[in-house]
Amino acid sequence: MLDQAFEALKTYDWGVDPKVVQPIDDAIISTRGDAAARKELETRLAAVLKTDASRSAKDVVCRALKTVGTAASVPALAALLPDEKLSHMARYALERIPEPDAGQALRTALPNVAAKLKIGMIASLGVRGEETSVAPLQALLADSDPAVAQAAADALGDINSLTAGKALFNAKPTAGTKAAIADASMECAEKFLAAGNKVAAKATYEKLLSGNPSKQVQLAATRGVQACAAK
Amino acid sequence: MKTNQTTRRDFLKTTGLTTAAIGFPTIIPATALGNADTPPPSERIVMGGIGLGNMGSGDLGNFLNNPNVQYVAVCDVRGNVRNERKNQVDGKFGNKDCKAYVDFRELLAREDIDAVHIATPDHWHAIQVIEACRNGKDVYCQKPESRTLREGQLMVDTVRRYGRVFSGGSQRVLEDYRDVVRKCWSGELGAIQSINVNVGPLPQACNLPAEPCPDDMDWEMWLGPAPWGPYNAKRCSGSFSIDGSSWRSFSDYSSGGLTDWGAHHFGGATFAADLRELQPTEVTYHDEGGKQYLTFKYPNGVLLTHNMPGKGNLEVVGTPGQKRAAKEVPQYSVKGGIYSDFLNCVRTRGNPFRAIEFAINTACVCHLGMIAYTLKRSLKWDAAKQQFAGDEEANRFVDQARREPWQL
Repeated sequence: MLDQAFEALKTYDWGVDPKVVQPIDDAIISTRGDAAARKELETRLAAVLKTDASRSAKDVVCRALKTVGTAASVPALAALLPDEKLSHMARYALERIPEPDAGQALRTALPNVAAKLKIGMIASLGVRGEETSVAPLQALLADSDPAVAQAAADALGDINSLTAGKALFNAKPTAGTKAAIADASMECAEKFLAAGNKVAAKATYEKLLSGNPSKQVQLAATRGVQACAAK
Repeated sequence: MKTNQTTRRDFLKTTGLTTAAIGFPTIIPATALGNADTPPPSERIVMGGIGLGNMGSGDLGNFLNNPNVQYVAVCDVRGNVRNERKNQVDGKFGNKDCKAYVDFRELLAREDIDAVHIATPDHWHAIQVIEACRNGKDVYCQKPESRTLREGQLMVDTVRRYGRVFSGGSQRVLEDYRDVVRKCWSGELGAIQSINVNVGPLPQACNLPAEPCPDDMDWEMWLGPAPWGPYNAKRCSGSFSIDGSSWRSFSDYSSGGLTDWGAHHFGGATFAADLRELQPTEVTYHDEGGKQYLTFKYPNGVLLTHNMPGKGNLEVVGTPGQKRAAKEVPQYSVKGGIYSDFLNCVRTRGNPFRAIEFAINTACVCHLGMIAYTLKRSLKWDAAKQQFAGDEEANRFVDQARREPWQL
């Protein structure tokens, strides 16, 4: 059945009954706890990404690699990152593969893709939460494209570490990035406060209040200062 | 609600006088100027709606007919829906003031709007709720409020960060299960041991063929953060059927009946069993004779089962003969149902009955269940960390990558 499913991937396209590739999902379940079988399954899946299989077929493969992917399939997925049609599904797997190779692949591809794809990769780096992403994301806070800079701010908020908080604290907000930097900064401040780092949290809120914030940020930061006082 | 509203009221009065003076009909609806039963616009809550198909249309009707609401903006990616709803709003207020948007971000950027209701497909909810909060809006959002576990936590954090009023959109939680709720909260069943929910089906993969996209539909905006797929009328139909003929059927946009009606039933069950403030710690996957079902275990020991053989929907197992003290059943803050509850809380800054934490805790049950059924095994959930304990594979399902340029 699994062999037939892989055979079906060669001609799989929109409109084909997805039941023909269901054995791949079944194999994900049946190989759990069997390292050799999982490795074989992963190898076969990654190999499809190197063929001229359709977008729909590679979509199926990336979904499967979200669950069974390891460092071994990162190169095949990384090769799709610059592809406008496949970049998202490559991230669909890479974002959830815990090995650091996945994060490194995203960071390596980052400077070489169009702004729209870059935003997606930035978001995935934020979700992965690796400290090694803070420096490249900090650099992107000053990107000339406000959408890229906003995405970098949001991602730093997701990483939500002391170094990410410092990067946001030292950022120079523009009209296009001010709201995103404020939101990400408050996300960090909430974590600082929860961890007992009242000094860092209060400094973050006070900096936001001193920067002529929007009404909603002023309200939120004021509540933050009050929370620091009450802690 | 906003500082410029006196100006708007003056403007409406002025235009009313002007149109009378130049001979146009002088019948001005009470909704425009206010009367004994209808507050003037300056005292109304200024609202807009995002996603105005089946459920959104119903929500719009409820808000539009509330005398405390001044409705000013509609947003939908389908031109025909957008235009119909704009005309509906304009007809209500007797003017042409309602603005129509394709992109929700433009609506949310308006400073004169106090609150929005959101009834887009589920894969959009988190992005739009979070963006609304960042723009200082209060939010009524249809259920299921989130698509993933991570989305839910970020939604809670953002609503609380900005001090927004949020109501989830399941009126059934309070209104459909009154008898079960009364029995549980009155103490007559004793300590609750378990409660069962029957709901389904699970979603399916979508690989529908391409069809010509209507000219007045923005397909990229409909898909938004979901994986790309070609337009197909069934892929995006808002039909309530979960049989492959609507977006509710497909796993990229919904978890099928588990989250759709599940939001109502699990919401009702957790309310009845007083579990609203908790998330499960364990999900046990059962496969007995080809019949799959789940048991969720809560930190207080109460069990919530899903599709347990032989059990009815919201069937409760208590401790007969051990009657407990009655507790007062929580209610909406005012009469008039869930919409009035939300609007009242917008004014009072109170917490609606379906506050964000309760809504997301219900969605959490649905998502945990979906992951257990997907992986066909039991799971342990650490609610404090929002992670599966020591389960790297399950943690891959806490969230999923969004299609660029969308992110949370």
